[in-house]
This record gives sequence, structure tokens and C-alpha cells, in this order.
Amino acid sequence: MPDTSAGGPPPVSIEFGSLEWEEEVERYGPRSPARAQAQRARRTIEAGTTKLDWKRCKADGPDRTKLPGCRKLYVPLSKQGAAEAPYGFVFQLIEKPDDGLAWNLIAFGERHPANERTRNVYERAHKRLHGRYP
Amino acid sequence: MATAAKRLDVEVGELVEIAGRRYEVVPDREGGVTIEPSITPATELHTQRGTKAASAEDFERLSADVPYDNEG
Repeated sequence: MPDTSAGGPPPVSIEFGSLEWEEEVERYGPRSPARAQAQRARRTIEAGTTKLDWKRCKADGPDRTKLPGCRKLYVPLSKQGAAEAPYGFVFQLIEKPDDGLAWNLIAFGERHPANERTRNVYERAHKRLHGRYP
Repeated sequence: MATAAKRLDVEVGELVEIAGRRYEVVPDREGGVTIEPSITPATELHTQRGTKAASAEDFERLSADVPYDNEG
């Protein structure tokens, strides 16, 4: 499912690796709202019919997260505020063996967890990129 | 009915498996440790798949018009 941008660079595919999906989304219970929202958002992304409201991640972000080369989508996709879109996907731009580029899912989770002991999606993304929490 | 807890002698960074699922021992925010579903490092996944992080130039070329927010 390409990330289309009219008049811009060539489309780049968006990929949900099975292992990342299991670790990020399926860690939530089968009937949890988070899992349901992630599944719904993925279906929409893969359908390729909705313009995606991407945001850039920061190379030096709050809470010492470092996410260079990454972008994100709020979930649900059509919402913006933390109350309406409490979750997020983080994707890393990768180069594949055939030299093609893809946005690869690296994290899914809460943007602003109510429970302060819960790691937010940016901390999870940082851990996947750097092997440890910031 | 009293239930005896199973004692885990583990350190931060180690993995434990419970009911077929891997959990990683990680530091909590209060100086202790906790377990959570493991996060496979991207470097390990890149090695398995023959992928790598794209160049900063490619990222900038694709993201020049993409805004930041006030989050991570």
C-alpha cells in the first residue's frame, strides 16, 4: 500500500512486519480498544484510499527519545488531539534488499499514557531503534 | 487458598518466557524492574531481512513537507 503524495516523490510502501505487529499490537488483549483501533487503522492504510496525515518524529525529542528517520500517524487516523487519537504508529524509513524504500512499523502504543509507568509509543520506538529505553 | 509465588532470579535485559510468550526484564521508573513483552531491536530485524535504515538524504527528500508536532 503506497504512501501517495500527489506531485511529490515516488510512492513509498508502508509495511507492517508480522513480528513488529505481534510485539506492538497483539500485546494488547483481543478485545482491547487499542488493538481494535490499530487493526482498523491498518485496514484503512492498506486500502490506500485515505490521505495520511503524517508527522515527523524528532531526532532529539522530549523524554530523550531519538527517532531520526521516522514518521508517525495518530490513531484513529482521522483524529488529532490526544483525547480523540490516543494512540500512534511510528514508522522507520528503510531500504530494502532491492534498493526500494518502505515505511516500516516499529512501534504502536499510547501517545500520552495516563499511567505514568506505561511507556509511550515514542519510548517504545526508541527502544526498538537503540536497544534500550531513553 | 494460598498461592506460592515462583521466584525469578533475573536481571535487566534478560528474557523470560511465560505461556510461550517472551517478556523482557526492563527497568521501571521507580528504580526497580518489571517485565514486559519484548521488543526485538531493529538492527536484528534488519540483519534477518537484509534491510537497513534509509539514508538521511532519502528521509529528507520524502519528508521535507511533513510537519513536526510537539511530541516525540
